[in-house]
Amino acid sequence: MEPIELRARARRAYELGRVRLAGKAAGTALLIAALAAALGRPPFLTAALGAALAVAAAALVFRGRASGRAVWTGLCAGSGAMLLPLGLATAGCRMFGDACMRFCLPACVAGGLAMGFALATVARRQEQGEGEFLAGGAAVAALTASLGCTLAGAGGILAMALGTVLAGAPVWLAARAQR
Amino acid sequence: MDPGARAALQRGMCRLADGDREAFAPVFAALWPVLRAFSARALPVAAEAEDAAQSALLKVFARAAEFDPRREALPWALGIAAYECRTLRKARARRREDATRASPEPVDARTPEDSAIERDLQAVAAEVLGGLRALDAETLLAAARGERDPSATFRKRLERAVARFREEWRARHGAD
Repeated sequence: MEPIELRARARRAYELGRVRLAGKAAGTALLIAALAAALGRPPFLTAALGAALAVAAAALVFRGRASGRAVWTGLCAGSGAMLLPLGLATAGCRMFGDACMRFCLPACVAGGLAMGFALATVARRQEQGEGEFLAGGAAVAALTASLGCTLAGAGGILAMALGTVLAGAPVWLAARAQR
Repeated sequence: MDPGARAALQRGMCRLADGDREAFAPVFAALWPVLRAFSARALPVAAEAEDAAQSALLKVFARAAEFDPRREALPWALGIAAYECRTLRKARARRREDATRASPEPVDARTPEDSAIERDLQAVAAEVLGGLRALDAETLLAAARGERDPSATFRKRLERAVARFREEWRARHGAD
């Protein structure tokens, strides 16, 4: 093999390696969506959100850099925020009856707070591209959390976003001030 | 590889793992000669060493996206190259074993003259056999095919058939 051809093939191998990694992220996103559907979320909405999440996660991981690194953090943080209202709706309602649905909105806020804090904490540890990390991670986490927060309608998503900003912004601003 | 180049390779691999495509060219330039030299030392045949080095290089880049920055890049890449060399060595040994096991058809070392003599003898033997009684001929053919009956009757019949075959041969050709 000529050096030029070898170089081209090596480059192709590298890009294929990134595609494989992106496939893993997309697969994880689809698994999370399947979990949401298994916990009772409507199939069409869940499929649409899951597909958007899978595409976003794959694209960010394929691109790489800070936003690519943020995908796994975003998926983890978002899953926690997703499971909080879903857990409340499934296990909670079984134990306390339909009255527990009142807590869905607060659960979305609490999930958002935890998610925002986690994202900002990991983002401040990044040596470079903290802003990009936070933006990428927040996008993935918001999409993931939406799989559960749509339980409380659009208000649930807004509440989750509000919680994320409320918890994430101070951590982020404090980290920036320290630098 | 000197410590400076090694550190540069480590930085390059970390950048590649992070998705920084600009690190590709320096990592390629640093790794290719190292892998080539390593394979050349590990494999005696130059062509095989080249194949192993190329294969190792492609695998290093295929896995670069999943490279763990806490690991040392150079030993990691050399580990992949060592595996490739070992695989090639094993493949070569297997090919050699297969070649030995699948021994070629037995070579006919006889000369055309030998073959002609054998054909003549077979023809004469068939002629002599034709002159024997049917039972004797059948006994001799059964013995030649390896279908020997272990009974004493067959053994005696065979002895008698061989003796008659000799007599007939002597009568026709004058010698054993």
